[in-house]
Formats: sequence, structure tokens, C-alpha cells
Amino acid sequence: MRMLVLFEKTERLRHIGHLDIMRAMQRALRRSGVPVSYSNGFNPHMLLTFASPLSVGIIGERELMEVTLSEERTPEDFLAAMRTALPPEMPVIAAWPMPDKAPALMAAVQAAEYEITPLERADALLAALPGMLAQAEIITDRKTKSGVKPCDIRPLILSLRVEDGTMHAVLTLSEREACKPDMLLNALSAAAGIEKPCCRIVRKGLLGRDEAGELRPLEALYHA
Amino acid sequence: MENDSSRIERLLERVQKAPRYTGGEMNAVHKDWDSVSFHYGFCFPDTYEVGMSHLGMKILYGLVNAQADSVCERFFMPWTDMLALMREEDIPLFSTESRRALCDFDMIGFTLQYEMSYTNILAMMDLGRVHLRSCDRERDEPIVVAGGPCAFNPEPLCDFIDAFMIGDGEEVTLEVVDAVRAWKRSGAPRAECLRALARIRGVYVPALYDVTYHEDGTVAAITPNDPAAPARVAKCVVTDLDNAYYPTEIPVPYTEIVHDRIMLEIMRGCTRGCRFCQAGMLYRPVRERSLDRLVQLAASLEKATGYEEMSLSSLSSGDYTCLAELIRALMKRLKQERVSISLPSLRLDSVLKESLEETQKERKTSLTFAPEAGTQRLRDVINKGVTEEDLIGKVTDAFQGGWSSVKLYFMIGLPTETYEDLDGIVDLARKVVACYFSVPRDKRAKGLRVTVSASSFVPKPVTPFQWEPQDTRETLLEKQAYLREKFRGVKGVTFNYHESSLSRLEACFARGDRRLGAVLLRAWEKGCMLDGWTELFKYDTWMEAFAECGLDPAWYAHRRRGKDELLPWEVIDSGVTRAFLWHEWEKAQAAITTRDCREGCNGCGLQRWKGVCSYANAGAV
Repeated sequence: MRMLVLFEKTERLRHIGHLDIMRAMQRALRRSGVPVSYSNGFNPHMLLTFASPLSVGIIGERELMEVTLSEERTPEDFLAAMRTALPPEMPVIAAWPMPDKAPALMAAVQAAEYEITPLERADALLAALPGMLAQAEIITDRKTKSGVKPCDIRPLILSLRVEDGTMHAVLTLSEREACKPDMLLNALSAAAGIEKPCCRIVRKGLLGRDEAGELRPLEALYHA
Repeated sequence: MENDSSRIERLLERVQKAPRYTGGEMNAVHKDWDSVSFHYGFCFPDTYEVGMSHLGMKILYGLVNAQADSVCERFFMPWTDMLALMREEDIPLFSTESRRALCDFDMIGFTLQYEMSYTNILAMMDLGRVHLRSCDRERDEPIVVAGGPCAFNPEPLCDFIDAFMIGDGEEVTLEVVDAVRAWKRSGAPRAECLRALARIRGVYVPALYDVTYHEDGTVAAITPNDPAAPARVAKCVVTDLDNAYYPTEIPVPYTEIVHDRIMLEIMRGCTRGCRFCQAGMLYRPVRERSLDRLVQLAASLEKATGYEEMSLSSLSSGDYTCLAELIRALMKRLKQERVSISLPSLRLDSVLKESLEETQKERKTSLTFAPEAGTQRLRDVINKGVTEEDLIGKVTDAFQGGWSSVKLYFMIGLPTETYEDLDGIVDLARKVVACYFSVPRDKRAKGLRVTVSASSFVPKPVTPFQWEPQDTRETLLEKQAYLREKFRGVKGVTFNYHESSLSRLEACFARGDRRLGAVLLRAWEKGCMLDGWTELFKYDTWMEAFAECGLDPAWYAHRRRGKDELLPWEVIDSGVTRAFLWHEWEKAQAAITTRDCREGCNGCGLQRWKGVCSYANAGAV
């Protein structure tokens, strides 16, 4: 059976890279005693996928992963086993059984919601925001496998407002295109003419689109 | 003092490898600070990824935390970037768990794994706001203890360490914790704590001893200056490993460390008696854990950590009495958990090989052999019981079994070494290459790689070579150049060698006396630290520090000690006697080997302690 799992990557672990978090989760699954399915082949690996890798330095409040179990388990049993197997800094929040034919998580991610709080030079940075957003296009560098390419992030900023010194942003995040918080910050710092400030960045949740094309929390699309 | 965690978090935005400092690992122990009466800071004087690979730390961390009224938290040496930022921002060295400052702990303990970590001890105490010198510490500062193999010559660290624990730590650590706790409650001055510690078996309190020197600089006498201090401190031995504490809920790091797997210590000690090997002397006698206990531990460790890999740990795992049975039992028990077991590759019998092929995905990584010396004569001198025939047989097996990559470890600068012995290294490597080509092309793996590594021999205390001079740097450089030239054009062989200046300094501190404390302090003041990391090692600065203290490194590294010279570490009774070591030295000069203890007692000295060594025979020599 497929199990959809909502978990948190807390502030203390924000510098742990995606591969290390994956390995920590695999080890937690092993400790939990939950019967996880493995791939066939010469080098079997756990059937475990994360909806979207989280960049180093970012806190993840509602991260999603999918794990395939070799036996049926209720979400309650699954959660109980995982709670004892995970360190306090990486708690599981909820789990839901997934329909067998449900699309892969990674393909369903369309956007993510962030909170970005500059810890220095906040006034200068935030002052540049209205001007930048008023532009028809915002060109910044995008790092790809083949090198650095210019990219227009204006259409990828789906919403952005400031409240109490924190930017609340919904940014496109899909397999095809993405505006990472870092790209937004690079563009904004350039617009403000300042060195990029150190920021506390929280990914509040992953979003998908429902049948009507509206953005909804990704997990809600699976267990509705 | 409680550290401001958010300030630490800010620093982590600015350093490389922040996961070194994050903590929060599975199985890390977090106890409420005020709920326990004793706070022990376990310090590994190197980086997180080195320290977290160390089994001894895991044992003692688990042991102290298993006591309801004590907590043990970990400290590591920050990398240079983090250290500079912490100084700049005035953030003291903080523990991995609660992020408390080092100076807040009741006791801090350093593990001494290698001499070149000594400057890190000073750097950590300085950053942790603990006075460096034992004599300067106030009553409310932590008691500073140290243990580990290098504690068998504690003298170069005497100025900085309050008490050394010598030998196995599982029992003495708790005795020391109790003594320090009792002293804390008593309100008595610091000196009383040191006295109480000196009364514990296996504890050496250097301040309670006076050292006098002859005019030529050699030690004249090491004399207790307090009735609490014994004339000699005998090491601690845990005789029954089955009943000794062993941790199962060990912290599992997020970031990859040097040895990222379960380490199952199957036995302690080694019976082979290689004459260059300090560990082989220090960890005597050999003690095995029972098969049942090991299988039970392996299962608990797997359950508690989720590790997918396990290695068997000891000085010579191939010598474990029932190795084949043990491996079969472990595989049977752990098969469904998909744990792969890395094995001591050198002593696989054929039955075992078959069961391996069945159950393990065999990874054909390189195989390592350590002949240590190039000729049979020199191997006899060092009592390394490996013959060319053995080696060639095993290497041929390996090539036939599908391996194509072999590492060969040698030492240069061994006592009595000549250029013939160096030629022997080249010959042996050539024979290994020939072995590979003797296997039919269709039966061997492609891509032969023979890596020959030559490290520079460092004479260590408590070995038969403790009296020997180390080769000078010039001699070692010549030998390295000679080998490099000889290996030029030997197809399939890569020749590596180690920095000789680092070995020279290691030699000074390995057999140094108390006066080296001044050099250590001076070198640290001049910016030396993380010396074990080649890119940070400042040889010239070290030489300046020696000169400024009026001490000659050559006197420590390259001088032959006399038979009757009192050696600075002889205040420690390591179990092995001077008479035995001298006898072994004489046999070495004559290239006469000594049998494995399992074939009969050689009278190393442990037979003096009743019931400690199962191979001891009081009458034997």
C-alpha cells in the first residue's frame, strides 16, 4: 500500500541536505519496524519518494513523502511506530493511505508557500519590493545542470505580501519550472542594491492544483 | 551560562559544513540540565565526522547517560571558519546537545587518540572558557580528565589535564564521576578532588608527582609528592567484556562521517605481538565477547539505529576464535533486516565465502594487506607474522575472486632497515602485479590497481621499540625518494607516502616528557591547531616553538635511549613489563620472532595480575 506522510524539518536541521534527510528517513523507517517495500534488482532500495527536495538552509513545516508498504497498516499505527523512530527535530505530523492509482507526488507539486524573514538589512530589502514587483519581467540567474542561465521569475511569483517584516510568498515549484526563494532574494537584493541579507526561510507547505485549477495544499488533493 | 541558540544558528549560516554543529541526531541524549546532579562534557579533540566515528566515545557517552543522575554531552573541535566566527561573536565552545558552554560542566574529558590532536585540546578549552593550565583553574571550573591510548604517556599533557584515566574506561569513568560529584558537594578545595581521584585505581594525577632530571636532560626520578598518589599507576582492565557496558542506542549522524555504520566490538586486545604496534601492547590481554552476546548486541544495535551496515571491530578480527560461526550467526539473524556485514577480508575460509556469495551483495572494493616490511628478515624483526607465501596466496585468491584493486601498507624507517628492505617493498609489489597477470584474462576483473602506501615509522612508548631513534627527516626523505624512483615505471602500481615532518612531531610527543607542555602551549599560541590535517599543519611554527622553549626536537625524536634510562611514561604500569619489552627488543635485533600468545604465554607482564589474561602462565617466559 502507498502511504502519504506529512513531516517537518525543523530549524535545527535546516542545513542538513536532501540526501542526508532521505537517509535519516530511511533509517527511521528501518527502526520503526514498519514493513517497507523494496525495489527489485541488484541494489534494492526502499520505495520512498519525497514530493520535493528542500534546499539547504530552509525549514520545512509541512513536507510530504510517499512510502510503499509491503503490508497494510493504518495511518495511526504507522504514525505511532514512526514517532518513536524519529528524532524530535524531524517529527511526523500525519499520514494517509494513498489510492493505488494516485499520480506520483513529485509530478503533482505546482507551487510552494514560503515565509521569508530578512535577519539583516530588512528595511532596504523590503523597500525595494513594490518597485520590483511592478516590473513586467524580473530577470535573475537560475542554476541548472548545464550552468547558469537568465530566467524571468515575474510570472513565477504567484503572490507576495509583506507583514511584520516577513514576506509571505507563493512561488511556482514544479518539475518544469521553479522560483526558489534564493532566486527571489537575489533579484530583490539586486533591485535594492544591497548584498543579499541572511534570511530565515520557512517552506510552509507544498501546493497542487485541484480540478478547478485552484491552488490547494498538496496533501488535501490526495486524501479528500 | 546558557548559550543563546539563535546566535549560534546565525553563525551556522556563515560556515562550511554546518551539519557538523547542528546536533539533534537520533539517539542523542537530551536531559533537563537541572534534573541531574552531574554534567559531563565528553570532548573529542577533532572534527565531528572524525569524533563520531570513534567507538570509545559512543561507549562512554552511553555509559554516563545510562546513569539516571548524570548527563553526558558531546564537544568537538570546530573547523577553523567556525572557530574564528565564534571568537569574533564571543560564543563559547558549546555542546552538541544542549549548546551549553564547556565551562558549565562539572567535568570534561578528552579522548587522546593521537598526539597530533593535542593543540586541539588547548583550542577547545580556550574557546570553552576553561583555564588551560591545571594550576590556574578555579574551584568552580570543570575537572579536566583524559584517557585513551595516548594517556599511556601522559607527560606532555601534564600541565593541562587534572587527571588521566589509564586503560579501559567502562568502570573507572563511573568511579571518577562519583568522586568528582562527592567533592563538588563537599565544598572542599580543588586539591582535595585531585587527591580523591589519585586514590582510584588507574587514575594518574600529574600534579601529585615531581619529576627531576639529570644534567643530560633525561629523567632522574618521578616521585609522588602526596600520600594519596601511588608510586606507579596501574592501568584498568575490564576482564569480562560480556558483562561490560556496551551501548545500543548510539547517536546516528545525519551527515556522513568517516565510519558511518554499526561497529560491533567483538574483542579487545591482540595476541600477535607485533613489535611496532602500541595498541597491541596497550590493549592486552585479549578478551573476546561471546557469540551469543554479540548476536544479541547486533540485533539491538540494528533496531536502535536503523543502520544498514555493520563492521566487526577489534585489532585483529580474523583472530576471533569462532569467527566463521559468528558471521554465520550474524547473517542469519540480520538477513531479513538487510544489514550487510563488512568482514575482515583476510581470513575467509571457503565455506564462509560461499555463504557470503549467497547472502551479501559482494562489493568488490579494494582489499587491504599490511605486510609492513619488504623482506622476511625485517618482518621477523618487527614480529609481523606474515610470509610472502601467505600474502601471495591471499592476493591470488582475491584476484581469482574478482578483485582487481589491492592496497599494500608498509612502514619505512623501521629499526635495522636497510636499502635491501626497501627493494623488498618494490619486489613484493611487482610479485603482486605478476599474480594478477597469472590469472587468465577471462577469469580476472579488469583494471589492476595496486596501491603501495609507505608511512614513516614512529617509535611509541610501551613497545619494544620505545628505546629506538626515529629516522631523521632527511633519511626518510631519501628513502621516500628512492622508493619513488624505483616505482617509476612499475605498471599498475601507485606509490603513496606520508608527510615525514608530521611523523617527526608525532615522535617527539609520543615519547616526550613534561617539559613539552611548554612547547605545546607555545605552538598553540602561535596558531597551531588541527595539525593532523595536512593543509593546516605548520611545521616551521612548531620548530620555532621548540626553539623558543629551549628544547630540541631531535633529542626527543632521533635519540637512542639507554637500557637503564628512566622513561617518562614509566610512572604508568601498562601491564607489560620493561623486562619483557627489552627482551623483545633484543630478539628484534637478532630477527627472532615471538610466538602468538595463543600458542603459549610469553610472560609479557600481565601474568602478574591474577585472572586477567586467559592465556597467562605464571611460570612461562
